[in-house]
Amino acid sequence: MHLGLQKYAPRILYYGVLGWFTYLMLAITVQYIPIQFNVAFLRIKQDEIALVHYQWAFFTHVYTSIVVIIAGIFQFSNYVRTRYPVIHKNLGKVYVGLTLLLASPSGLVMGYYANGGIYSRISFMLLAVLWFYFTYKAFRHIKQGQFELHRKFMLRSFALTLSAISLRLIKWGLVSTLELPPMDTYKIVAWAGWVVNLAVLEVYFLVSKK
Amino acid sequence: MNKGIIFGWIAIFGLLASCGNPIKDTDSTVKEEPGTVLTEEAASDAAESSTEIPVVETLKDTDTELIIPDGLKEGQSFWVGYFKRNMAEPNIGNDLYVDEGIYWNRKNKISISIDNIDNGRVKGHSVVAGNDRPFEGTVDVITDSASGKQTQYFTVKEPGDDKYDGVFTFTLTDYDLMGTWEAYNDLEIKYRKYHLQKKVYQYDPDIMLQNQNQYVDWNKYTEETEIMEYDEGEIEEWIRKSFSASTDMIYKINASNQLLKKEDVENLKRGDLTIIRNTIYARHGYSFKHRPLRIFFDAQEWYIPVHADIKSEFTEIEKKNIQLLLSFEKNAEEYYDYFGRG
Repeated sequence: MHLGLQKYAPRILYYGVLGWFTYLMLAITVQYIPIQFNVAFLRIKQDEIALVHYQWAFFTHVYTSIVVIIAGIFQFSNYVRTRYPVIHKNLGKVYVGLTLLLASPSGLVMGYYANGGIYSRISFMLLAVLWFYFTYKAFRHIKQGQFELHRKFMLRSFALTLSAISLRLIKWGLVSTLELPPMDTYKIVAWAGWVVNLAVLEVYFLVSKK
Repeated sequence: MNKGIIFGWIAIFGLLASCGNPIKDTDSTVKEEPGTVLTEEAASDAAESSTEIPVVETLKDTDTELIIPDGLKEGQSFWVGYFKRNMAEPNIGNDLYVDEGIYWNRKNKISISIDNIDNGRVKGHSVVAGNDRPFEGTVDVITDSASGKQTQYFTVKEPGDDKYDGVFTFTLTDYDLMGTWEAYNDLEIKYRKYHLQKKVYQYDPDIMLQNQNQYVDWNKYTEETEIMEYDEGEIEEWIRKSFSASTDMIYKINASNQLLKKEDVENLKRGDLTIIRNTIYARHGYSFKHRPLRIFFDAQEWYIPVHADIKSEFTEIEKKNIQLLLSFEKNAEEYYDYFGRG
C-alpha cells in the first residue's frame, strides 16, 4: 500500500490539481459563450472591444486556448504515449496547430492592448512570442526524430500554456494575503504568472542533468 | 498508471461536487441608489433591492397653490441640520453598534423648505434619509412685547400615506429653526428633535470631500476566526470583522469636473470606487437611502440633502464617469478576490 502510494501520489496530484484548475478555466471560458461584448473581463475593456481586430483576437484566443490546455494534459503521460502513440500524435497535432496558428498570434494582439501599461504589455507580448517559439521548436524536433529535445521544448511550451492558470492562482494568493490594489496586483502577476513557471522548469532541467 | 488517472478524476469530481461558483462572486451586487440609476434594467434592480424605506416618488398634488420646486433652483435656501433622536421621549430604537469605535446614533441630516405661506396656511417639504415628503399646516406669529422679537410657531403635518410620515412642531426666527417631530406610526425612532440653520444649496462640481470620517460599509465584511488558547486548555474563539472601507484616494479624485480615464480608476479599491461615484450624487444634493453612505455624506459640512431623485440632473461628464466607475466596481465586486480574472 505504501509503495503504491509513493508511486502514484505524484500522478494523482498532477491530474487532480490540473484537472480542477482546467475545470475552472472552462468555467471562465463558458462565460464568453455566446459572443457578447460586455461580459466579465470585457466590461473593463470597452475601448478595446470596440476594435474589430481586437474582437477577433479576443474570441479566437478565448475559444482555442482552453482546447490547447486540455489537449496538453495527457501528453506527458508515458503510459498514453507508449500504449496509444496515435492518440499522443493526434493530440500533439491539435496542440501545435491551435497554438501556432490561432492561440499564440491572438495572444500577441491581445498583449498589445493589455491593462497595466507598457510593463504588462511587454510581458504578455513576450509570453506570446516565447510560447510560439517553444511550440514551434518542439514540433521541429519531433519531425527530425529528436525525442529528448522534443520533450524539453514541449515542457517549456506547456509551462507557458499553464501560465493562464498560475497567473490567476498567484493573483488570488496576493489578494488574499496582501490585498494590494487591483492594477498593482495585475502588473505583478502579468510577469510572475509565466516567469515563475519557466524558472522552475529550467531549474528542474539543470538539476536533473547532474 | 490506470489507477493514477482514476484517482485523479475522482478527486476532480469530488471537487466539482462542491457548491458555489469558484471563479466569481455571483451573489455580489453593486449598490446603485434608486434615485440615480440611468438605465431601465438597473432601475428595476435598484427598486427591488431597496426595501429599507418605501419610496413615494410622486408628490400629492392636492392643492394648485402648492409651490414645489421641481428640479433644483440655483441658490435655493434650506433649513439644514441633524434630525436627532429626541432623548426626552420614549424611543424604542437604539444606537446602531457596528464594531469597536464605530456606531451610529440614528441621526440623519435633514433639510426643511418652507415653500409657501398664505394667510396662516403653510406649505413646504422636507428631505431626509432618502424621503422627500411634503407637509402643510398652520403658523402663528407671536411678538414678544418686551423685546419686539417676532417668533413664528409652526405646526405642519405630512400626508400620512407613507410609513415614515409625522408631524413637525417648530419655531422659526431669523437664524434658527428648532423643534420636534412625532411619527404617526410606532416606528423605532418615533420622536425626533432638530435645530437647523439656514443654508444655501448650490451645485458645485468642484467641491471635494473633507476628511471627516472613514466610510465603513458594515454590510460588507469578511470574518476571520481566531482561536486563542489560554492557560489550562481554555480555548476562546474570536471573530474579527474586516469591513470594506475607503482610502485617501477619495480626497484626490473628482468625478464631476473632469472626464475620468481608465487609467485613473483601474487601480482603485472597491470602497474608493463606490465613494467617488456616490460623491457625484452628493454634489447634486441626493438624499441617500443606503445607511453607510448616508452617514458618510451627512458628515460632510457642505452636503445638503435636497432631492430624492436626481436622474435628470447629471452632466455629460458625470454620466460617462458613472458608467466607467460602475463597470470597474462591478468587476471588482465579482472578481477581485476570486480565482477568475474574468
